Amino acid sequence: MPPWGARIPEAAPLHPFTPPALAAAVAALAILLPMPWGPPALLAGTVVVVVAGGLPAAVGRALRVVFPLWILLLVLHGGLGPAPRVAVGGLGLSRSGLLLALGQGARLGAIAVAGFAAAATLRASRVLDAWAARGGTPHLGYLAVATGFAVPRLLARARTITEAQRARGLRLRGSLAGRLRALRALALPLVLGLLAEADDRGLALETRAAAAPGPRTPLAPVPLTARDRWLRLGALALVLAALAWRVAR
Amino acid sequence: MALAFVASQAGLPVYLDTLGTILATLLAGPAAGAAVGLLSQGITAVQAGAYMLAFAPVQLLVVALAWVAGRSAGLATTPRALLWGGATGLAAGTLSALISYAAFRGVTATGVTAITTLLTGAGLTLRQAVVVASVGTDLLDKLLALGLAGVVLRALPERVLARAPGARAAVGRADS
Repeated sequence: MPPWGARIPEAAPLHPFTPPALAAAVAALAILLPMPWGPPALLAGTVVVVVAGGLPAAVGRALRVVFPLWILLLVLHGGLGPAPRVAVGGLGLSRSGLLLALGQGARLGAIAVAGFAAAATLRASRVLDAWAARGGTPHLGYLAVATGFAVPRLLARARTITEAQRARGLRLRGSLAGRLRALRALALPLVLGLLAEADDRGLALETRAAAAPGPRTPLAPVPLTARDRWLRLGALALVLAALAWRVAR
Repeated sequence: MALAFVASQAGLPVYLDTLGTILATLLAGPAAGAAVGLLSQGITAVQAGAYMLAFAPVQLLVVALAWVAGRSAGLATTPRALLWGGATGLAAGTLSALISYAAFRGVTATGVTAITTLLTGAGLTLRQAVVVASVGTDLLDKLLALGLAGVVLRALPERVLARAPGARAAVGRADS
Protein backbone atom coordinates (compact mmCIF):
# COMPACT_ATOMS: atom_id res chain seq x y z
CA MET A 1 0.00 0.00 0.00
CA PRO A 2 1.50 3.36 -0.96
CA PRO A 3 1.90 5.94 1.82
CA TRP A 4 -0.80 8.13 0.33
CA GLY A 5 -4.35 7.52 -0.64
CA ALA A 6 -4.55 5.14 2.32
CA ARG A 7 -7.93 6.44 3.39
CA ILE A 8 -10.00 8.96 1.55
CA PRO A 9 -13.19 10.45 2.99
CA GLU A 10 -15.83 9.65 0.40
CA ALA A 11 -18.19 12.58 1.00
CA ALA A 12 -17.46 15.60 -1.20
CA PRO A 13 -13.67 15.31 -1.43
CA LEU A 14 -11.65 18.50 -1.53
CA HIS A 15 -9.69 19.56 -4.58
CA PRO A 16 -6.43 17.53 -4.44
CA PHE A 17 -4.32 20.67 -4.02
CA THR A 18 -6.33 21.97 -1.04
CA PRO A 19 -5.09 19.51 1.66
CA PRO A 20 -1.40 20.12 0.79
CA ALA A 21 -2.08 23.88 0.85
CA LEU A 22 -3.67 23.55 4.29
CA ALA A 23 -0.75 21.40 5.49
CA ALA A 24 1.68 24.05 4.25
CA ALA A 25 -0.29 26.67 6.16
CA VAL A 26 -0.10 24.57 9.34
CA ALA A 27 3.69 24.25 8.85
CA ALA A 28 4.00 28.02 8.43
CA LEU A 29 1.85 28.66 11.49
CA ALA A 30 3.87 26.13 13.51
CA ILE A 31 6.97 28.21 12.84
CA LEU A 32 5.30 31.63 13.22
CA LEU A 33 3.14 31.15 16.32
CA PRO A 34 4.77 32.21 19.61
CA MET A 35 6.61 29.64 21.70
CA PRO A 36 5.87 27.82 23.91
CA TRP A 37 2.04 27.88 23.87
CA GLY A 38 1.29 28.68 20.22
CA PRO A 39 2.41 25.33 18.75
CA PRO A 40 0.55 23.19 21.35
CA ALA A 41 -2.66 25.11 20.59
CA LEU A 42 -2.03 24.61 16.87
CA LEU A 43 -1.37 20.87 17.40
CA ALA A 44 -4.61 20.50 19.36
CA GLY A 45 -6.58 22.34 16.68
CA THR A 46 -4.98 20.34 13.88
CA VAL A 47 -5.73 17.02 15.59
CA VAL A 48 -9.37 18.02 16.13
CA VAL A 49 -9.80 19.06 12.48
CA VAL A 50 -8.07 15.94 11.12
CA VAL A 51 -10.07 13.55 13.31
CA ALA A 52 -13.30 15.39 12.50
CA GLY A 53 -12.34 15.17 8.82
CA GLY A 54 -12.35 11.37 9.04
CA LEU A 55 -8.59 10.81 9.11
CA PRO A 56 -7.74 9.60 12.64
CA ALA A 57 -5.16 7.18 11.17
CA ALA A 58 -3.06 10.20 10.15
CA VAL A 59 -2.86 11.22 13.81
CA GLY A 60 -1.73 7.72 14.81
CA ARG A 61 0.87 7.67 12.05
CA ALA A 62 2.21 11.08 13.09
CA LEU A 63 2.36 9.98 16.73
CA ARG A 64 4.47 6.96 15.79
CA VAL A 65 6.94 9.25 14.00
CA VAL A 66 7.13 12.10 16.50
CA PHE A 67 6.94 10.16 19.78
CA PRO A 68 10.65 9.14 19.71
CA LEU A 69 11.48 12.78 18.92
CA TRP A 70 9.40 13.97 21.90
CA ILE A 71 11.42 11.64 24.17
CA LEU A 72 14.68 12.98 22.72
CA LEU A 73 13.44 16.56 23.10
CA LEU A 74 12.63 15.89 26.74
CA VAL A 75 16.12 14.48 27.37
CA LEU A 76 17.95 17.07 25.24
CA HIS A 77 16.22 20.21 26.49
CA GLY A 78 14.51 19.10 29.71
CA GLY A 79 17.20 16.83 31.08
CA LEU A 80 20.28 18.61 29.75
CA GLY A 81 18.89 22.16 29.68
CA PRO A 82 20.01 25.09 31.86
CA ALA A 83 18.94 25.94 35.43
CA PRO A 84 16.59 26.68 37.15
CA ARG A 85 15.23 23.15 37.58
CA VAL A 86 11.82 21.91 38.56
CA ALA A 87 10.93 18.49 39.96
CA VAL A 88 8.84 16.40 37.55
CA GLY A 89 8.10 12.83 38.61
CA GLY A 90 11.13 12.75 40.87
CA LEU A 91 13.45 14.13 38.18
CA GLY A 92 15.02 17.58 38.19
CA LEU A 93 14.29 19.05 34.75
CA SER A 94 15.20 22.42 33.27
CA ARG A 95 12.21 24.76 33.39
CA SER A 96 13.12 26.68 30.24
CA GLY A 97 14.17 23.41 28.57
CA LEU A 98 10.79 21.85 29.32
CA LEU A 99 8.96 24.80 27.80
CA LEU A 100 11.23 24.67 24.74
CA ALA A 101 10.67 20.90 24.42
CA LEU A 102 6.91 21.42 24.71
CA GLY A 103 6.81 24.09 22.02
CA GLN A 104 9.24 22.33 19.71
CA GLY A 105 7.55 18.94 20.15
CA ALA A 106 4.14 20.44 19.38
CA ARG A 107 5.60 22.23 16.38
CA LEU A 108 6.90 18.94 14.94
CA GLY A 109 3.67 17.19 15.88
CA ALA A 110 1.42 19.73 14.16
CA ILE A 111 3.50 19.61 10.96
CA ALA A 112 3.52 15.80 11.00
CA VAL A 113 -0.23 15.43 11.62
CA ALA A 114 -1.12 17.93 8.88
CA GLY A 115 1.37 16.36 6.45
CA PHE A 116 0.17 12.79 6.98
CA ALA A 117 -3.46 13.89 6.74
CA ALA A 118 -2.79 15.70 3.46
CA ALA A 119 -0.90 12.68 2.09
CA ALA A 120 -3.75 10.33 3.03
CA THR A 121 -6.22 12.33 0.95
CA LEU A 122 -4.16 12.21 -2.24
CA ARG A 123 -5.42 9.96 -5.03
CA ALA A 124 -3.20 9.61 -8.07
CA SER A 125 -5.84 10.01 -10.78
CA ARG A 126 -7.32 13.15 -9.18
CA VAL A 127 -3.88 14.69 -8.69
CA LEU A 128 -2.98 14.07 -12.34
CA ASP A 129 -6.32 15.46 -13.57
CA ALA A 130 -5.95 18.55 -11.40
CA TRP A 131 -2.37 18.94 -12.57
CA ALA A 132 -3.47 18.68 -16.22
CA ALA A 133 -6.29 21.18 -15.67
CA ARG A 134 -3.74 23.64 -14.29
CA GLY A 135 -1.64 23.23 -17.45
CA GLY A 136 1.21 21.56 -15.56
CA THR A 137 3.88 19.65 -17.48
CA PRO A 138 2.32 16.15 -17.85
CA HIS A 139 5.49 14.12 -17.47
CA LEU A 140 6.41 15.94 -14.24
CA GLY A 141 3.03 15.09 -12.75
CA TYR A 142 3.35 11.48 -13.87
CA LEU A 143 6.91 11.30 -12.51
CA ALA A 144 5.81 12.50 -9.07
CA VAL A 145 2.84 10.16 -8.81
CA ALA A 146 4.57 7.12 -10.33
CA THR A 147 7.60 7.53 -8.05
CA GLY A 148 5.40 7.63 -4.99
CA PHE A 149 3.60 4.47 -6.00
CA ALA A 150 6.88 2.74 -6.88
CA VAL A 151 8.18 2.91 -3.29
CA PRO A 152 6.60 -0.34 -2.00
CA ARG A 153 7.70 -2.18 -5.16
CA LEU A 154 11.28 -0.92 -4.82
CA LEU A 155 11.38 -2.00 -1.20
CA ALA A 156 10.15 -5.45 -2.22
CA ARG A 157 12.89 -5.63 -4.85
CA ALA A 158 15.51 -4.59 -2.28
CA ARG A 159 14.30 -7.41 0.00
CA THR A 160 14.44 -9.93 -2.86
CA ILE A 161 18.01 -8.93 -3.76
CA THR A 162 19.06 -9.10 -0.12
CA GLU A 163 17.60 -12.60 0.27
CA ALA A 164 19.16 -13.77 -3.02
CA GLN A 165 22.61 -12.49 -2.06
CA ARG A 166 22.36 -14.05 1.39
CA ALA A 167 21.40 -17.35 -0.23
CA ARG A 168 24.62 -17.04 -2.27
CA GLY A 169 26.60 -16.71 0.94
CA LEU A 170 26.82 -12.93 1.41
CA ARG A 171 27.59 -12.04 5.02
CA LEU A 172 25.81 -8.90 6.20
CA ARG A 173 27.61 -8.55 9.52
CA GLY A 174 31.22 -8.53 10.65
CA SER A 175 33.94 -5.95 10.09
CA LEU A 176 33.27 -2.51 8.59
CA ALA A 177 35.12 -3.51 5.40
CA GLY A 178 32.95 -6.62 5.14
CA ARG A 179 29.77 -4.62 5.57
CA LEU A 180 30.90 -2.11 2.94
CA ARG A 181 31.50 -5.00 0.54
CA ALA A 182 28.04 -6.31 1.42
CA LEU A 183 26.52 -2.88 0.72
CA ARG A 184 28.16 -2.83 -2.69
CA ALA A 185 26.90 -6.35 -3.44
CA LEU A 186 23.36 -5.30 -2.51
CA ALA A 187 23.24 -1.78 -3.92
CA LEU A 188 24.85 -2.40 -7.30
CA PRO A 189 22.24 -4.86 -8.68
CA LEU A 190 19.46 -2.80 -7.16
CA VAL A 191 20.56 0.49 -8.74
CA LEU A 192 21.51 -1.04 -12.08
CA GLY A 193 18.12 -2.80 -12.21
CA LEU A 194 16.34 0.47 -11.42
CA LEU A 195 18.25 2.32 -14.11
CA ALA A 196 17.33 -0.34 -16.68
CA GLU A 197 13.69 -0.16 -15.58
CA ALA A 198 13.69 3.65 -15.77
CA ASP A 199 15.09 3.37 -19.30
CA ASP A 200 12.32 0.95 -20.33
CA ARG A 201 9.60 3.08 -18.76
CA GLY A 202 10.99 6.22 -20.37
CA LEU A 203 10.80 4.58 -23.77
CA ALA A 204 7.25 3.35 -23.14
CA LEU A 205 6.14 6.81 -22.02
CA GLU A 206 7.84 8.47 -24.97
CA THR A 207 5.91 6.24 -27.41
CA ARG A 208 2.73 7.43 -25.64
CA ALA A 209 3.73 11.08 -26.17
CA ALA A 210 4.18 11.72 -22.46
CA ALA A 211 6.73 14.45 -23.12
CA ALA A 212 4.91 15.96 -26.10
CA PRO A 213 4.12 19.68 -25.77
CA GLY A 214 0.59 21.06 -25.64
CA PRO A 215 -2.31 21.00 -23.21
CA ARG A 216 -3.86 17.79 -21.89
CA THR A 217 -7.54 17.09 -21.36
CA PRO A 218 -8.32 15.77 -17.88
CA LEU A 219 -10.23 12.49 -18.00
CA ALA A 220 -12.39 13.50 -15.02
CA PRO A 221 -12.06 17.24 -14.36
CA VAL A 222 -11.65 18.05 -10.68
CA PRO A 223 -13.80 21.01 -9.64
CA LEU A 224 -12.38 23.80 -7.51
CA THR A 225 -15.37 24.48 -5.28
CA ALA A 226 -16.22 27.55 -3.22
CA ARG A 227 -15.37 25.47 -0.14
CA ASP A 228 -11.84 24.88 -1.48
CA ARG A 229 -11.42 28.60 -2.17
CA TRP A 230 -12.63 29.63 1.29
CA LEU A 231 -10.43 27.07 3.01
CA ARG A 232 -7.36 28.22 1.11
CA LEU A 233 -8.17 31.89 1.67
CA GLY A 234 -8.78 31.28 5.36
CA ALA A 235 -5.47 29.44 5.73
CA LEU A 236 -3.64 32.19 3.88
CA ALA A 237 -5.27 34.85 6.04
CA LEU A 238 -4.22 33.02 9.21
CA VAL A 239 -0.63 32.73 8.01
CA LEU A 240 -0.50 36.40 7.00
CA ALA A 241 -1.97 37.45 10.34
CA ALA A 242 0.61 35.35 12.23
CA LEU A 243 3.37 36.80 10.07
CA ALA A 244 2.17 40.37 10.64
CA TRP A 245 1.98 39.75 14.39
CA ARG A 246 5.49 38.24 14.36
CA VAL A 247 6.92 41.22 12.44
CA ALA A 248 5.10 43.81 14.55
CA ARG A 249 6.13 42.20 17.87
CA MET B 1 14.33 4.35 0.66
CA ALA B 2 15.22 1.00 -0.91
CA LEU B 3 18.91 1.90 -0.52
CA ALA B 4 18.36 2.86 3.10
CA PHE B 5 16.86 -0.61 3.52
CA VAL B 6 19.90 -2.40 2.04
CA ALA B 7 22.24 -0.15 4.07
CA SER B 8 20.38 -1.08 7.25
CA GLN B 9 20.63 -4.75 6.26
CA ALA B 10 24.41 -4.30 6.04
CA GLY B 11 24.38 -2.68 9.48
CA LEU B 12 25.49 0.73 8.21
CA PRO B 13 23.88 3.82 9.81
CA VAL B 14 23.37 5.71 6.55
CA TYR B 15 20.35 6.73 4.46
CA LEU B 16 21.89 7.00 0.96
CA ASP B 17 18.86 9.13 0.09
CA THR B 18 20.91 11.30 -2.24
CA LEU B 19 22.30 8.47 -4.41
CA GLY B 20 19.35 8.74 -6.80
CA THR B 21 19.78 12.51 -6.92
CA ILE B 22 23.49 12.16 -7.74
CA LEU B 23 22.89 9.54 -10.44
CA ALA B 24 20.06 11.54 -12.03
CA THR B 25 22.26 14.67 -12.05
CA LEU B 26 25.12 12.86 -13.77
CA LEU B 27 22.98 10.83 -16.17
CA ALA B 28 20.37 13.42 -17.14
CA GLY B 29 21.65 16.83 -16.01
CA PRO B 30 21.12 19.15 -13.04
CA ALA B 31 17.44 19.89 -13.80
CA ALA B 32 16.60 16.18 -13.68
CA GLY B 33 18.76 15.82 -10.58
CA ALA B 34 16.91 18.65 -8.86
CA ALA B 35 13.54 17.12 -9.80
CA VAL B 36 14.61 13.72 -8.43
CA GLY B 37 16.08 15.32 -5.30
CA LEU B 38 12.95 17.32 -4.50
CA LEU B 39 10.76 14.31 -5.25
CA SER B 40 12.91 12.13 -3.04
CA GLN B 41 12.65 14.65 -0.23
CA GLY B 42 8.89 14.80 -0.74
CA ILE B 43 8.64 11.02 -0.36
CA THR B 44 10.83 11.16 2.75
CA ALA B 45 8.46 13.80 4.10
CA VAL B 46 5.45 11.57 3.42
CA GLN B 47 7.15 8.68 5.24
CA ALA B 48 8.98 10.47 8.06
CA GLY B 49 7.06 13.70 8.60
CA ALA B 50 6.43 16.83 6.57
CA TYR B 51 9.12 18.77 8.48
CA MET B 52 11.70 16.83 6.43
CA LEU B 53 10.74 19.14 3.52
CA ALA B 54 12.79 21.83 5.28
CA PHE B 55 15.88 19.90 4.18
CA ALA B 56 15.07 20.15 0.45
CA PRO B 57 17.87 22.75 -0.02
CA VAL B 58 20.37 20.04 0.95
CA GLN B 59 19.26 18.01 -2.06
CA LEU B 60 19.80 21.03 -4.32
CA LEU B 61 23.27 21.56 -2.85
CA VAL B 62 24.08 17.90 -3.56
CA VAL B 63 22.90 18.38 -7.16
CA ALA B 64 25.24 21.36 -7.58
CA LEU B 65 28.24 19.56 -6.08
CA ALA B 66 27.56 16.33 -8.00
CA TRP B 67 27.38 18.33 -11.22
CA VAL B 68 30.73 20.01 -10.48
CA ALA B 69 32.24 16.64 -9.49
CA GLY B 70 30.99 15.13 -12.74
CA ARG B 71 32.42 17.93 -14.86
CA SER B 72 35.86 17.35 -13.34
CA ALA B 73 35.86 13.54 -13.75
CA GLY B 74 35.32 13.26 -10.02
CA LEU B 75 34.00 9.70 -10.19
CA ALA B 76 36.69 8.27 -12.46
CA THR B 77 38.29 6.34 -9.61
CA THR B 78 37.14 5.30 -6.14
CA PRO B 79 39.61 7.59 -4.30
CA ARG B 80 38.42 10.60 -6.35
CA ALA B 81 34.79 9.71 -5.71
CA LEU B 82 35.47 9.42 -1.98
CA LEU B 83 37.24 12.79 -2.02
CA TRP B 84 34.20 14.40 -3.63
CA GLY B 85 32.01 12.47 -1.21
CA GLY B 86 33.93 14.00 1.68
CA ALA B 87 33.56 17.52 0.28
CA THR B 88 29.87 16.98 -0.41
CA GLY B 89 29.34 15.52 3.06
CA LEU B 90 30.99 18.51 4.73
CA ALA B 91 28.92 21.00 2.74
CA ALA B 92 25.63 19.10 3.06
CA GLY B 93 26.22 18.45 6.77
CA THR B 94 26.88 22.13 7.45
CA LEU B 95 23.70 23.16 5.63
CA SER B 96 21.72 20.42 7.43
CA ALA B 97 23.05 21.64 10.77
CA LEU B 98 22.03 25.22 9.98
CA ILE B 99 18.48 24.18 9.05
CA SER B 100 18.21 21.74 11.94
CA TYR B 101 19.35 24.28 14.53
CA ALA B 102 17.56 27.33 13.16
CA ALA B 103 14.19 25.71 12.47
CA PHE B 104 14.01 22.76 14.88
CA ARG B 105 16.59 23.44 17.64
CA GLY B 106 18.48 20.31 16.62
CA VAL B 107 15.63 17.79 16.72
CA THR B 108 14.65 16.25 13.38
CA ALA B 109 15.48 12.69 12.29
CA THR B 110 15.64 10.24 15.19
CA GLY B 111 19.15 8.86 14.50
CA VAL B 112 20.87 12.24 14.17
CA THR B 113 18.95 13.61 17.15
CA ALA B 114 20.06 10.68 19.28
CA ILE B 115 23.70 11.50 18.44
CA THR B 116 23.04 15.20 19.18
CA THR B 117 21.61 14.23 22.58
CA LEU B 118 24.59 12.03 23.40
CA LEU B 119 27.04 14.78 22.42
CA THR B 120 25.14 17.37 24.48
CA GLY B 121 25.25 14.96 27.41
CA ALA B 122 29.00 14.65 26.87
CA GLY B 123 29.40 18.39 27.42
CA LEU B 124 29.08 20.04 23.99
CA THR B 125 26.77 23.01 23.59
CA LEU B 126 23.60 22.31 21.62
CA ARG B 127 24.92 24.25 18.64
CA GLN B 128 28.21 22.33 18.62
CA ALA B 129 26.42 19.01 19.06
CA VAL B 130 24.05 19.71 16.14
CA VAL B 131 26.98 20.60 13.87
CA VAL B 132 29.07 17.56 14.84
CA ALA B 133 26.11 15.16 14.55
CA SER B 134 24.90 16.54 11.20
CA VAL B 135 28.34 16.82 9.61
CA GLY B 136 29.41 13.42 10.96
CA THR B 137 26.39 11.54 9.65
CA ASP B 138 26.35 13.42 6.33
CA LEU B 139 30.07 12.84 5.84
CA LEU B 140 29.68 9.06 6.09
CA ASP B 141 26.47 9.12 4.04
CA LYS B 142 27.88 11.17 1.16
CA LEU B 143 31.19 9.30 1.15
CA LEU B 144 29.24 6.11 0.53
CA ALA B 145 26.76 7.77 -1.86
CA LEU B 146 29.45 9.25 -4.13
CA GLY B 147 31.54 6.07 -3.83
CA LEU B 148 28.57 3.93 -4.87
CA ALA B 149 27.59 6.36 -7.63
CA GLY B 150 31.11 5.94 -9.06
CA VAL B 151 30.87 2.14 -8.86
CA VAL B 152 27.46 2.18 -10.59
CA LEU B 153 28.48 4.57 -13.38
CA ARG B 154 31.70 2.71 -14.09
CA ALA B 155 29.69 -0.53 -14.28
CA LEU B 156 27.26 0.88 -16.86
CA PRO B 157 27.67 -0.48 -20.40
CA GLU B 158 29.14 1.87 -22.98
CA ARG B 159 25.86 2.03 -24.94
CA VAL B 160 24.15 3.54 -21.89
CA LEU B 161 27.01 5.92 -21.10
CA ALA B 162 27.04 7.07 -24.73
CA ARG B 163 23.59 8.63 -24.15
CA ALA B 164 24.71 10.41 -20.98
CA PRO B 165 27.62 12.79 -21.63
CA GLY B 166 27.55 14.00 -18.03
CA ALA B 167 28.07 10.48 -16.73
CA ARG B 168 30.80 9.82 -19.32
CA ALA B 169 32.65 12.92 -18.17
CA ALA B 170 32.17 11.94 -14.52
CA VAL B 171 33.92 8.58 -15.02
CA GLY B 172 36.66 10.18 -17.13
CA ARG B 173 35.65 8.76 -20.50
CA ALA B 174 34.57 12.00 -22.12
CA ASP B 175 37.24 11.89 -24.83
CA SER B 176 37.55 8.14 -25.36
